[in-house]
Amino acid sequence: MTIFLDACLGALLLCGKLVLIVVPLVVAFEVLRYAKVFRKLGSRTEPVMRGLGLGRSAVLPLFTGIFLGIAYGAGIIIRSAAAGKMSRRELFLTGLFLATCHAVIEDVLIFAVLGGDAMVMLGLRLALAVLLTALLARLWKPGAGSTGREV
Amino acid sequence: MSTLLESEQNMEITEEEPIPPISQRVRCGVVEGLLTVFKMIKFVLPLYILVDVCKAYGVIDSLGTWCAPFMSLFGLPGATAFAFIAGGLVNLYAAIAVLAPLDLTPWQVTQCGVMMGIAHNLVLEGGVLSSTGARGGILTFFRLLLAAVAGWLMLGLQTLGVAG
Repeated sequence: MTIFLDACLGALLLCGKLVLIVVPLVVAFEVLRYAKVFRKLGSRTEPVMRGLGLGRSAVLPLFTGIFLGIAYGAGIIIRSAAAGKMSRRELFLTGLFLATCHAVIEDVLIFAVLGGDAMVMLGLRLALAVLLTALLARLWKPGAGSTGREV
Repeated sequence: MSTLLESEQNMEITEEEPIPPISQRVRCGVVEGLLTVFKMIKFVLPLYILVDVCKAYGVIDSLGTWCAPFMSLFGLPGATAFAFIAGGLVNLYAAIAVLAPLDLTPWQVTQCGVMMGIAHNLVLEGGVLSSTGARGGILTFFRLLLAAVAGWLMLGLQTLGVAG
């Protein structure tokens, strides 16, 4: 029974942490998303994103996930999805990229502490994520109306 | 297609949303943020409890024992299986706690870093991915597959003498 109670306590702590991190993040997202810099970032990254089969609405979820991790990035992904700006295809491709390559800074540092090669770990994960997402984007053609490059 | 793309881009440029005042944006952010967290908690809370209870009942140890023989496929000592199970079910901090005393070569640590970096905390993150509306189960399968492929790739590089 204590095992179960401990687990519940840990789960509640985690939920508290989620509230503390996700809520400010979504507030920042809502406040900043009209800013010029963010729109510019959207157009700057567009060629790269297009190669991955993603539109500019996926830029923010993708970068949040890469640096902060899936749990906190999901806050932004859910928001973008709920705003109806991402198609199912984009959601899956973003998910695929992030499943392979997320929270990179934290992950790489953890293993660098043990003597792992940070550049190899970072480079391989990034390369695999880009390759896999670009490949799937080409296999899974976008339906009418969604953004993506025609192959 | 090119005309279609052009019209789409034009639409995006001309379609300026009205910009609400900052107070309204903050209020909207707080409300939406809380709604988002609730959506995630529905997945995170039960999964966390499940994993934590499994850990307490020694599931990591028994799964590790079962998986140990397979680690030689990646050129890793059998004991690393415990780290992979701990990392896959819990998180990377649990994994390095197991890994640290094993005296691995730097290349083996890098290999573990790539493999576990791709596939860790699978239960919880699979739930979170599902809560975004993506197919969490398929993505989790992809992660496991990719971790294995990356592991073989790195063993291959080492065998060829390119790295390590």
